Amino acid sequence: MLAQTFEEAGLSTVLVTMMPFWAEKIGAPRTLGVEVPFGHPLGMPGDREMQMKIIGAALSLLGETRGPGVMSEVEVEWPQPSDEARKDWQPLEASPIIKMMRDQAQARAQERRQET
Amino acid sequence: MPVDSFKYLPRSIAAYFQTLRVDRADPIAWTPLSKPLDECRFGLVTTAGIYDMERDPPFDADREKRQPLWGDPTYRRLGRGVVEGQIAASHLHINNRDILADVNIVLPVDRFAELEGQGVIGSLAAENYSFMGYQPNTIEWRERYGPEVAGLLKDEAVDAVLLTPV
Repeated sequence: MLAQTFEEAGLSTVLVTMMPFWAEKIGAPRTLGVEVPFGHPLGMPGDREMQMKIIGAALSLLGETRGPGVMSEVEVEWPQPSDEARKDWQPLEASPIIKMMRDQAQARAQERRQET
Repeated sequence: MPVDSFKYLPRSIAAYFQTLRVDRADPIAWTPLSKPLDECRFGLVTTAGIYDMERDPPFDADREKRQPLWGDPTYRRLGRGVVEGQIAASHLHINNRDILADVNIVLPVDRFAELEGQGVIGSLAAENYSFMGYQPNTIEWRERYGPEVAGLLKDEAVDAVLLTPV
């Protein structure tokens, strides 16, 4: 979304994302996909080597002449077990939209109980 | 192995993204890189909702709590010399702990300063930018704040931008 605006303004962009599925759907100009938990597009805190590997791949993609809509990937090994990583990136308190959806689901369930 | 976009997502959120309809950019905007990397000036832009406590107020998380279908569309500036103790985050959709421990995982100011020193890139801009990624409605990004930040980056003679959506 912002990438489109920046490119229109004459800036070359490269997007680094754990959701290349989504980048492809919206039509991002240059996308580097990386399989990491949310909130960690450039890797683990304190892991300079992992961060540089991802950044290096992003810089290589910038020179690509194939675009627009060019996509590439970089492989990193995430040091946590998947189940742990899946929980670890999530906020300690559910976000307002998730709370709202839960409340609505509970209200609907209660209505159904009252109807039966 | 191809990147699995849903590996770390709870099933309900994965299903939401898989079924969400969105208009694909057509045409996709494209600015070819105009010069070699070692001559390019870089800007960094993240949507991690971080800000420099010494310069700027937080993103408006209180309003989002009252109106869950709204996300603060404004942006914050972060200087290239910003350090972890100056940074706070107001993104309600992730655990901000790791970002506050090492901002380079979303806004790699130290890594790009190193690349500048090594001559891999031309330079890193003095100012970099942060948005907050939860945006149910992107009109203000498209029409106001996105073009504003693009203009600020251009004013600093930036050629290329590394974007990290969060």
